Amino acid sequence: VSDELVDGDASAEQPLPEERPQPSDHRAGPLFWVSAVMGWVVIGIGLRGVFEHSLDTRPANLAKFVVGGALLHDLLIAPLVILVGVALIRFVPRRARAIVQAALVVTGVLAVFSYPLVRAYGLAANNPTSLPHNYALNLLVVLGVVWAVAAAALVVRLRRPAA
Amino acid sequence: MSPSSRLFGRLADRLPPGVRRLTTDSDLPLRQAAYQSPLRDERLAAWLGASLGILFSVCFVTGLYSHLQQHPQSWLPIPARPAGLYRFTQGLHVAAGIASVPVLIAKLWLVWPRFVALPPVKRASHLVERIGLFPLVGGGIFMAFSGVANIAQWYPWRFSFTASHFWMAWVTMGAIVAHVGAKWAISRRALARPSRRPRVTDADPVLGTLAESDGDRPGGTGLSRRGLLGTVAAASGLLTLTTIGQTFRPLRGLALLAPRDPAKGPQGYPVNRGARNAGVVDLATSPDYRLIVDGRVTSRLSFDHAQLLALPTHDARLPIACVEGWSYSAAWQGVRIRDLLDMAGAAPDRTVLLESLEPNGAYRTSTLNPGQAGDRDTLLATHLDGEPLAIDHGFPCRLIAPNRPGVLQTKWVSKVTVL
Repeated sequence: VSDELVDGDASAEQPLPEERPQPSDHRAGPLFWVSAVMGWVVIGIGLRGVFEHSLDTRPANLAKFVVGGALLHDLLIAPLVILVGVALIRFVPRRARAIVQAALVVTGVLAVFSYPLVRAYGLAANNPTSLPHNYALNLLVVLGVVWAVAAAALVVRLRRPAA
Repeated sequence: MSPSSRLFGRLADRLPPGVRRLTTDSDLPLRQAAYQSPLRDERLAAWLGASLGILFSVCFVTGLYSHLQQHPQSWLPIPARPAGLYRFTQGLHVAAGIASVPVLIAKLWLVWPRFVALPPVKRASHLVERIGLFPLVGGGIFMAFSGVANIAQWYPWRFSFTASHFWMAWVTMGAIVAHVGAKWAISRRALARPSRRPRVTDADPVLGTLAESDGDRPGGTGLSRRGLLGTVAAASGLLTLTTIGQTFRPLRGLALLAPRDPAKGPQGYPVNRGARNAGVVDLATSPDYRLIVDGRVTSRLSFDHAQLLALPTHDARLPIACVEGWSYSAAWQGVRIRDLLDMAGAAPDRTVLLESLEPNGAYRTSTLNPGQAGDRDTLLATHLDGEPLAIDHGFPCRLIAPNRPGVLQTKWVSKVTVL
């Protein structure tokens, strides 16, 4: 969740740097090719392992999660995050923006990590030691601390006269 | 110009003018301004990439060690000491994996516009680099997702977690090696640059940095690059702080988001698989229970419940360290494996197979190499913190040995075979 799509007026005044060579314009050196060969050998070891142990790794099912994870991020999560960034620019005052962005980033990460715990997918029967906490409540407590700190930072910043 | 870049350059020239007009540089399909954020910057990308590379490498090395523990190789026997080594490495594996989640998300956000570069390929090396992004991004997301799901014991898939997480780690690590080689020069240049706000002349058209549009108004705009890096560090730190207490006891009170509480459970300790779920309640409490010592021995031994408790005991303080990252240390009491072997007339430097009462399950047996079997603290424990072992902890007796994953600390042991 962050700053995306700055207002058009600011960018229109900036000359666009077309002359600067881009990283991918440079010819690849020996380091590139040595690392590429080494890296692909290691990737090959992994792929061979996946297919050699296909009874365990279920390559078709595994591919669904590997490709699906990347697609889910690139096509859904990343654009959503950018939309939230746009909304932030529209609706959050400039002086509060950085703090709100930071708090939202932390909130999003904590929520993603806690999702399987809050949903209690892994709760085992006959085992009271599995998922022993009330994770929805605990997540709210942690997020409450995050936003309390953000609010305190906001008060400090807004009290300071604008430069 | 190499022949390949000439070829790809000609292909790029064939793009419809409308498509080419969308971009002010050949890498981005949309107007440069559309991606303008002072945060999409080489230096920040290098910082996040380096952090991610280190965290994933830590996970890879500690993961290899955990794999070796569970798939013993005769040419590389696991030492019995230091006793807390596995507890440390596996705690680190899970902690580093958790800490990498915010870094991975930030890094993916930062480079996201590059996934849609035009022309898609400029030369052979660019093609190789871009193909390598599939295992890099797919693998990175998979490793983080499957690890986080596994510690929450959530299995929304049909494959085996351990096998898939292990082999995909090689795919991901290989992709990281190739990516580091491709980005070495640009990252070194970016990290060597003195840290300051970018000016127009520093703008990087690939990642979309321009000079900050209102950089001379402090606090007037969104997060700075340093601010985003600090936010990512804070998110990693907060995730660590709210989970590390599952293995680092002093922070137990803060472990609000940890999947286990190291002080909650029968006798005050958690278990992964209780007696009911393992299907051993009747077998373990039956008067017909016997502990058998067999195999390459001069005299086969058999003990019932009472005889087991009458054996000479030894005390040891040892950790139980689960592969899922939680652990606890406790005082154990029971008969030493090496004393049992001595009683049965077995040679001291033997490999020992332990079998559980569990009728099935991937971890119903485990082996001790000669060094582990002969260690002074390797016990068949009958007591935990001075109390008789609870059935969920492995009554009538369980293996407890130094430097060993929890799943290999076999519970409800009924047979010891000297190999």
